[in-house]
Amino acid sequence: MSYLNTTEVESAVTSLATAFPSACDLIDLPEPSVEGRAGHALRIGTAPAGTHDCVVLIGGVHAREWGSCEILVHLAADLLEAGTEGAGLAYGGKTYTAAQVRNVLDNLDVVVFPLVNPDGRHYSQTVDPMWRKNRNPANSGGDPSRIGVDINRNYDFLFDFATAFDPTAGVQVSDDPGDIQVYQGPSPFSEPETRNVRWLLDAFPRTRWFVDVHSYSEDMLFVWGDDENQSLDPAKNFRNTAFDGKRGVAGDLAYAEFIPKDDADDSTVLAEQFCKGLHGVRGRAYSPMSAFHLYPTSGTSDDYAYSRHIADPHKGKILGFTIEWGKSFHPPWSEMKRIVLDVDSGLVQFCLTALA
Amino acid sequence: MSTARQLLRVRVTAKDAETLRSLLREARPDVGGRPRQGEDGTFSIEAYASPEEAEALEREGVVVTTIEDATATGRARQAEVGEGDRFAPDDAVPRGLALKVKDA
Ligand SMILES: [Zn+2]
Repeated sequence: MSYLNTTEVESAVTSLATAFPSACDLIDLPEPSVEGRAGHALRIGTAPAGTHDCVVLIGGVHAREWGSCEILVHLAADLLEAGTEGAGLAYGGKTYTAAQVRNVLDNLDVVVFPLVNPDGRHYSQTVDPMWRKNRNPANSGGDPSRIGVDINRNYDFLFDFATAFDPTAGVQVSDDPGDIQVYQGPSPFSEPETRNVRWLLDAFPRTRWFVDVHSYSEDMLFVWGDDENQSLDPAKNFRNTAFDGKRGVAGDLAYAEFIPKDDADDSTVLAEQFCKGLHGVRGRAYSPMSAFHLYPTSGTSDDYAYSRHIADPHKGKILGFTIEWGKSFHPPWSEMKRIVLDVDSGLVQFCLTALA
Repeated sequence: MSTARQLLRVRVTAKDAETLRSLLREARPDVGGRPRQGEDGTFSIEAYASPEEAEALEREGVVVTTIEDATATGRARQAEVGEGDRFAPDDAVPRGLALKVKDA
């Protein structure tokens, strides 16, 4: 084995759908990438789609964080093979019983979208290993050094960062296409990859949990990313223009983002249980924490997922998370295999906790 | 593999949070991972930069140390990417890495 190339991530997903027709559906994402690559996801679950609450797992957003795709492909394969054979799953020192695996398959919709940014992955694996963004040339003015949008800054959450944040906050985003890493794009959801993720959340209205798999730092992050969390003052929230220009400063009293205590507690428990399931494999200690640390972000997937029900009361509440696996972007495959076991064990524990 | 940028992976260690924050705000380096607080009160983060950019990160209260040649490591990893399509045959299905175990 070795890292999967872009073609193989897609064919892995479609061959799993063919091999396990009674336990999953193949989902065709509506929009191809700029270079014309189609995206696929799996809906894993033995009940008809929509019968149960749903967890949506995405990966391969940042091109250079290769192993995120393998983490999700292997998780899908583990759940489908063990679930249909009546087996349990052993990840190093952490074991899940056949009944636990069956519980996930029978009582949850698990939607797995392993490769959100296929053009970026292909470019990173064949040309520039450090590439992060997609490969959209639309805003480059023909200059190859200005190609691409950071998909994880392109969601609709405090997109107008110049207005929303304190100018000294150092928000990690840019409106300059020349920014090689964090160019946000011309408007929220300007990119087909971002729109595909939004489509998934809309297509599965019972989604209650969303996890975006990234690297690196060995952390399990929950909302918010724009400022520190607080559960005392609902007026301090991302929609309140009275706090424009005040967001994002670490350790100050001017602003912290409101999250109801129940949601903060539930997010913390899920993140802690993920880390516990991961730790049982070989002792790696990931840290559960909110995403804001030292500097803010805008337009990220986890904040967008959780903010949806606040911006539109007709939408269901989704607790949003970001995994930052490992300690480098491209570990040798021999080490990446161990990280896949770590993170997949954490994700099984996450699903069991969500069900509880 | 023609046009990869030549990048070093470096650790940027600042004497305190504000020093690191202002460096990130002004120099806008490509960061990897998240900031870490040292036991001595320093704050550090990894970054990816050309040799010239790495040198330019150095300033009062900031130490920059090279971890590795990120471009060389990246090229070595590109050699670990599969070729063709291992799942093209009809009976080729990915197997997860966990052991499938029957309950005792
Ligand atoms: Zn990432």
